[in-house]
Amino acid sequence: MKNTLRQVFHSSKFVVGFCIFAAILLTMIIYPLYNPGSPLEMIGVGTFAKPGTYVSLYDATKAPVETLRLSDADDKRIAASLSQDDRIAMVEWFTIMEIDVSDLDISDTDALLALWREHYDPSVKPKGMTMAKRNYYKRLNNALLELQGADTLIIADTDEETGALVEKSKITKTDYVNVSTVANVKVLPLGTDNFGRDVLKELVSATGTSILIGIIAGTVATLIGLTLGLLAGYVGGFVDDFIMFITNIFTVIPGFVLLILISYSLGQEQRGATVVAVVIGFTSWTWTARSVRSQVISLRNRDHVNLSKLSGHSLVRIVLTDILPYIASYVVMAFILQVSSGILAEAQLSLLGLGPKTTEVPTLGLMMNWAMLYSAHTNGSWWAYFPVILTIALISFSLNLMNTGLDQVFNPTLRD
Amino acid sequence: MGQPNEKTRAFLARTKGYRKYFGKKLLWFVITFVVAVILNFFLPRMMPADPVAAITGKMASGMTDASAVQEIYKRYEEEFGTNKPMWQQFLLFCKNALHGDFGTSFSQYPRRVSDIISSAIGWTIALQLPAILVGWLLGNLLGALAAYIRKGFDKVLLPVSLFMSNIPAFGMAVILLVVFAVNLKWFPVSGGYNFDMIPNLSWSFIKSVIVHYQLPFWSIVLISIGGQAVGMRSMSIYELNADYVKYARFLGIKDRKIVGYVFRNAMLPQVTGLALSIGTMIGGALVAEIIFSYPGLGSTMYAGVTAADYPLISATTLIITVMVLIATFLLDIIYGFIDPRVKAAQFD
Amino acid sequence: MGKKMLEVRDLKTKYITRFHEDVYAVDGVSFSIEEGKSLGIAGESGCGKSTLALSMMGYYFPPLHYISGDIIIDGQNISGMNPDDVRKSILGREIAYIPQAAMNALNPTQRIIRFVEDVIRAHDPKADKKEIRELAEARFAELGLPPTVLNRHAVELSGGMKQRTVIAVSTILNPKVLIADEPSSALDVTSQKMVIKMMRELMEKGYIKSMLFITHELPLLYNVTDDIMVMYAGQIVEKGTAKEMVFDPVHPYSHGLMGSILVPEEGTRGHKLTAIPGTPPNLKRPPKGCRFADRCKYATDECRYYTIPEKSFENDRMYRCLKRVDELKEVYSHE
Repeated sequence: MKNTLRQVFHSSKFVVGFCIFAAILLTMIIYPLYNPGSPLEMIGVGTFAKPGTYVSLYDATKAPVETLRLSDADDKRIAASLSQDDRIAMVEWFTIMEIDVSDLDISDTDALLALWREHYDPSVKPKGMTMAKRNYYKRLNNALLELQGADTLIIADTDEETGALVEKSKITKTDYVNVSTVANVKVLPLGTDNFGRDVLKELVSATGTSILIGIIAGTVATLIGLTLGLLAGYVGGFVDDFIMFITNIFTVIPGFVLLILISYSLGQEQRGATVVAVVIGFTSWTWTARSVRSQVISLRNRDHVNLSKLSGHSLVRIVLTDILPYIASYVVMAFILQVSSGILAEAQLSLLGLGPKTTEVPTLGLMMNWAMLYSAHTNGSWWAYFPVILTIALISFSLNLMNTGLDQVFNPTLRD
Repeated sequence: MGQPNEKTRAFLARTKGYRKYFGKKLLWFVITFVVAVILNFFLPRMMPADPVAAITGKMASGMTDASAVQEIYKRYEEEFGTNKPMWQQFLLFCKNALHGDFGTSFSQYPRRVSDIISSAIGWTIALQLPAILVGWLLGNLLGALAAYIRKGFDKVLLPVSLFMSNIPAFGMAVILLVVFAVNLKWFPVSGGYNFDMIPNLSWSFIKSVIVHYQLPFWSIVLISIGGQAVGMRSMSIYELNADYVKYARFLGIKDRKIVGYVFRNAMLPQVTGLALSIGTMIGGALVAEIIFSYPGLGSTMYAGVTAADYPLISATTLIITVMVLIATFLLDIIYGFIDPRVKAAQFD
Repeated sequence: MGKKMLEVRDLKTKYITRFHEDVYAVDGVSFSIEEGKSLGIAGESGCGKSTLALSMMGYYFPPLHYISGDIIIDGQNISGMNPDDVRKSILGREIAYIPQAAMNALNPTQRIIRFVEDVIRAHDPKADKKEIRELAEARFAELGLPPTVLNRHAVELSGGMKQRTVIAVSTILNPKVLIADEPSSALDVTSQKMVIKMMRELMEKGYIKSMLFITHELPLLYNVTDDIMVMYAGQIVEKGTAKEMVFDPVHPYSHGLMGSILVPEEGTRGHKLTAIPGTPPNLKRPPKGCRFADRCKYATDECRYYTIPEKSFENDRMYRCLKRVDELKEVYSHE
């Protein structure tokens, strides 16, 4: 046993897979300690806030102010407020004024502004340009001037008695606050989803649920497959024929279709994560049953089994002591694969809208489903779906690597 | 004189063997089909929820008149025959299904379910059949190469294809969609053809179909490559260590020729591998369809699920099952013909 | 003395395991076979006899590697030749091989005739298909195989058929040396006899000029080969004529090997059945002295210390033991 474990951990594939999986599990355990609370809590009001650090504007105005004179502050401010559309419009203007813009880089704010200052004239009325468009250029120009000017923002409050605005404080362009002095700063490394929920927190929780679903599904499938495979392989005869009959049928009828039928029939209310997991397990045992059976058949007539039979040991005892230990490695490998395909099955089911009910816990599939329903993929909110895909791929990659590693240890013909 | 005679006899014996093999496989096909139909009928009916009540609830939402609701309930009870005993319902279901009648869709009322399905099925077959076959071929080629070259190539290719095979089908679909349709704008984002077109045989329509075809096609190809390559690699390594390889080498046969033997022997069982995994692959591919809103069965099923369109779901699942059954059956038959090992084992 | 068909001089080869360890499986083997003669090599499994068979072909691929020594086939030294020349002009043509597992030696999905074509064309790319078929049919018929076998796939043939097909294909180019690695161990007694008869026939008809027969059953060789060598831990420990080796083994290992056999062949009668205790040494680190010393009842400290040379005695016999022949015979007579 110890020797086997040592051998297993000598396989580089197994070790890499194991490390990835362990890292995922560790994150699942540690991250909630650092960031507690319900993963389904909707912290944002809008949808799909970008990943980043969010600073409370209100608290920032109360924080102690330092003055910093940074030479490139104006440029950065303009660069940040000039949208892509504005830039394109500016280039359009240059073209109308017949200025050569062939070597102008549209993302180079400095060059763009220099050219703008030189060539923009609000009094010019180009032919064919609508009033609205001319006004747009005027507004754009004013905004640019304003950003460069030395104006201040005034924070005012309503006087309770008179109802008039009373100046509370002034904010100038050179005022800075230290982020650590702002009372409320929220880091959202993966932004928020369509419901305004913290994606990272949700992802960690969903990964846990999905792995649990995989494990439950894998356990159910392995137990059914193992039992049927052992019975078919060891007892043989009619029992074997009957079990193989059933197994063959369920190998050909796609498990996915059965899964859809059962999940749909159960109805949304009945579908908790556990129920879904069990259903997945019930529709994916055929592989295990087949392979366990063929292993058992090759073991059935070995000398040590025959010896046990002659000694009058019971069927249960023979199976437990003379057969199971020999196929244990095989069963473990099958289980690992079942876990991985269980996770995938849940995700696909959820994408069809037949996943676990949405109000209890997030799963990877549900997150994917929400992201797709709210078109995260077409509106550029990559953080809502890409981490989910990556997590599923990583989990299943690590499990498969472990499986390949084990396979190489236990099936020496596959060794290099 | 003796030789033609023996040849004829051998030929007769062989055709008899083929017929027996074919018959056996056909019987299996029929049995599995019957079980599939039974499951398709009974599984939803074994559940506690009353589908008719659910449907009535949906159709009658907003109605206040109790007798009108009662009326709707009666009508659906009639259509489904839920007021009759179970076995009669089953017979009715079989009879209707045989006529291609799966009832009326709720969500796309008053379209017949059979209409919806027949307009979707062509898209699915045209998309998935070539995609799965191309993926299978490419995967086997890469797997064989990896097994033969080993060393660097294998070390790079194996982890990459392992990782690729672990990206879920929908994930691959989303990634391709975002990269090539949303960002690069090389391909359209969704649909099977331009939404403002009416299906016809004009050149512009066909062009539109081809452009829309690319992303769903390649996403299915890419995910099937990985899995096949990994399987083919271990199969080839197993064959490379076989005794006949060593023997052929020591008789002076060139390595290139031997690799040919190995590739053929490793590839043939992959046909069965394809037959066995086609059910699983279809599942992923259907979900990929949904991502691209491709007008196939996957999207039809999705529409059915979101609209709680019970007849539509039931018919789609049945059709998918039948498609997988036929594919498996055909692969089995082909395999029996091309692999002499099966011939020897089965045809005697 | 006949012409030497195969001469092996101080051949050394090794396996390199996947943990990059060297295993010296053939460690300084010398012998020769004359035209028309057959030689048997006997030894326990793992003694290096199968590796010796592979090493003699002069064609090495991982994990087997050549270290040193000469292989001379009919006057031509092949040990320095480039591998592709060996493949093209030596393998199958000068020296041919019948593998241990003849049951699996044929590609299951290939028709036998295609395989014969591949074999012949590997040496003569321009060979005509029709001529190949004629040659194959004639040779198969001579060996009692119906010509229809040529159109079959290997999976469609019975075990005995496959065995005979392998022998026929291996010898189709009339090699000067035929190496048979336990071709009969997986067969029942009748089939074993048939295989041996077939190989003798090939030699009588002059299709093959000499033969090496490898087995773990020493008495089986008595009926088959002219000479016998016994191999232990990568080295030859004793060599002599078949009769001498079976009735009068000198080396303690050959002596023990004769005693550990159940088959009631001629010459084994009167032997007590005794097993040789212990296991052969690890060839990753072969012992300095006699390799058999740890299992030898008669071993002394000197045996473990000195490198044991090959010693000749009588006419043309050889053994590898520190003790004198009369000493050993004296000890055996008291058992």
